[in-house]
Amino acid sequence: MEQTTTDHDTGGIGRRQLLSAVGGSAVAAALAGCSTLLSDGETADQGGQSGGEISDEPIQAGLLTFTRGAPGVLGIQAQRGAELAVQRINEAGGVGGQREIELDVVNEGSNPLDSYNQFIEEGKEVTFGPISSGTHSQIAPEVEKNEIINVSTDGTVTTLYEETVPDPTYSFRFQNYDIMEVVTMAREAVERIGADNISTVAGVNPSYSFGEDEMRVFTQAIQKLTDAEIVYEGFPELGASDMSNHITSINNEEPDVTFSSLWGGDVTTFVRQANANDMFENTTVFGTTLYSAAGDVPGDALAGTDIYSGSRNYYWGLPALGNWQPGRELFDAATQQEGVTVPTAHYMSGYGAVTAWATATEKAIDLLGTYPSQEQIAQVLEGHGFFTPAGYHNIAEDHQGASNSFAGQMVYDDDLGAARLDDVNTYAATETAPPPGVTGSDWLDSWSA
Amino acid sequence: MAVTPTAALVQTLNGIQFGFILFMIASGLTVILGILDVLNLAHGELFSIGAYTAIGVFGFIIGIVGPPGGGVVGTAVFVLAVLAAVLVTAAILLPVGTLFEAVFLRQIYDRDQVYQLVLTFALLLILLDVKKVIWGDSSIRTDAVYSAINTIPTSELVGLNYPTYNVFVILVGSVVVVGLFWFFERTKTGRIIRATAIDREMATAIGVSTDRVFTLVFALGAFLAGFAGAMAVPPTSATLEMGTNPLVLSFVVIVIGGLGSLRGAFVGALLVGVIRSWMITLYPPGEIAAPFAIMALILLVKPEGLFGTWGETA
Repeated sequence: MEQTTTDHDTGGIGRRQLLSAVGGSAVAAALAGCSTLLSDGETADQGGQSGGEISDEPIQAGLLTFTRGAPGVLGIQAQRGAELAVQRINEAGGVGGQREIELDVVNEGSNPLDSYNQFIEEGKEVTFGPISSGTHSQIAPEVEKNEIINVSTDGTVTTLYEETVPDPTYSFRFQNYDIMEVVTMAREAVERIGADNISTVAGVNPSYSFGEDEMRVFTQAIQKLTDAEIVYEGFPELGASDMSNHITSINNEEPDVTFSSLWGGDVTTFVRQANANDMFENTTVFGTTLYSAAGDVPGDALAGTDIYSGSRNYYWGLPALGNWQPGRELFDAATQQEGVTVPTAHYMSGYGAVTAWATATEKAIDLLGTYPSQEQIAQVLEGHGFFTPAGYHNIAEDHQGASNSFAGQMVYDDDLGAARLDDVNTYAATETAPPPGVTGSDWLDSWSA
Repeated sequence: MAVTPTAALVQTLNGIQFGFILFMIASGLTVILGILDVLNLAHGELFSIGAYTAIGVFGFIIGIVGPPGGGVVGTAVFVLAVLAAVLVTAAILLPVGTLFEAVFLRQIYDRDQVYQLVLTFALLLILLDVKKVIWGDSSIRTDAVYSAINTIPTSELVGLNYPTYNVFVILVGSVVVVGLFWFFERTKTGRIIRATAIDREMATAIGVSTDRVFTLVFALGAFLAGFAGAMAVPPTSATLEMGTNPLVLSFVVIVIGGLGSLRGAFVGALLVGVIRSWMITLYPPGEIAAPFAIMALILLVKPEGLFGTWGETA
């Protein structure tokens, strides 16, 4: 299997690749702007202040995320990440050196579309979030209708930019999406166990579009990489208190690999009950978002388990904290925040969504010499490359964020008081994502068996 | 999927275990419905408050006793400490139930049932906010109980791979069932409650204080909800939303068993628990639909439920 060696300076992307990406994105932004950014100002009325002075009015921003319940384990990470990014931007003088960001946070809850519409009615200039794929599928068409940029922290369903909003202008997504993290874990399963040793696969995934999407993609990917047969698929409800039936079914089948995209508090419930039922004696678990519960899953539940987890775009141990100061600073600042035991990829999705938008706006200001319109920011966001403490990221021309992903064995660290990944492999976005313009399904189909 | 006999047995046990938790919740709902004729929509929230409260109580009591010591005595002390914590939690819910009945429900017994539904729904929302104020938005859990009890050998002694905590739930649930039937069949207070359920006017005529009985019954319902919450929380976490699903399934259980029938609630809970368990095994997408399908079927065949109303028999 092809595997990228991590470069601590670039978060895993090679120097040549990095220079190419940065140069390419800058040129692309400049060229994209040529016709519009230097136009006669017709775009000035499209939600921004193009063509005039940059005001010192705060930027009103909204974040939709889960702030409570079992999904809150993950949603609060995104919230704290976004808050820290806003804090750092404001301490540096704000966007364009003048406009500080004021961030409203609402719980995604049961009426997320109402909350999003409320943001728009309140005149938010940018919205971030949501977490849920289902919510994102509802919101993305509204974003296009409202022509106000949304950079989603998550909402990672593969079909979003393939079917729901196939030609987006204002809707972007920071997080590596389902196919990327699922392919990461399919490759990781083959790397750890060996293709010849994987003949049976089971799945336990959340019972909604995200979980179904992840299992479908994993099935497609693992069957291209191995000759595996799917022997069980279980879909517990979000927040299910009892997963013992699924666990018993897995024990009955003893599959070589069990794939799971459970996340947040559901991971803790699953791991605890699976351990109590001796499930880890019968299978090896590979999960895309198990690590989202890093600060929640207790040490005794992880003892004796055989779990490999991915981390979508960030793992605090890579780039190594010891020799990479921004990572150390972020880790220390994050762990001072309420509700963050250890920052996870979802922390970085909150941090990165804000940073993607703010750095693109900043770039547009540099290009224009004035404050850009919504459309102009959107144009710059396409192909926009930028750094966060997690390394280098790129928002591809298909509006999809692309970052390195990580996978390793999930172990409990007594000193940290949280789970961490051990023996970590890094996978570049080129290994895990289809090229822009190619659907995930077509890309997977194109793999040679 | 070929299911081995061992897996079949374990799935059935999973269903029975879930059924006992459901019964503990539904029994409280049933006695309140049977006597007070009130469908308490806030019952699921009382269950979840039991779960939240239990986490603190487990921490306190097990903090005193310490982790399970070696040998039979040490293990027994730990299990007794867990049981004591469950009972203390349930006892904490007693005054909550008493307060609700005396302050809120008593005022509207004579009104149309829709007022009771609106009132108990309002209580549900208020309790949600109370939980937020006391315990915050995030889910919380107790780590002290589940793993510790699972270290006690039980099912593996007969060659089965089944968590001891689930065995514990089944055993304690069985004691609750026997205890409740004994209470209502054999004790004076239980008979008075049943007499009130059968004929409220006659009970009043022979000197029974219905006010006192009603308060007692609502407090008993809250006690059972708290007990169920404390038993249910160790393998999972307490979350703000955790009261919803058990409440809905409890309604299904009491409709299947017969509104207000304790015997019906027991049979209905086990039926729902086991069939749900098997549905997850054989056809996972049917998990949610299965209990409702059983309910619909029973309503078609026997509209009053399997055991009718409560009172003549427990």
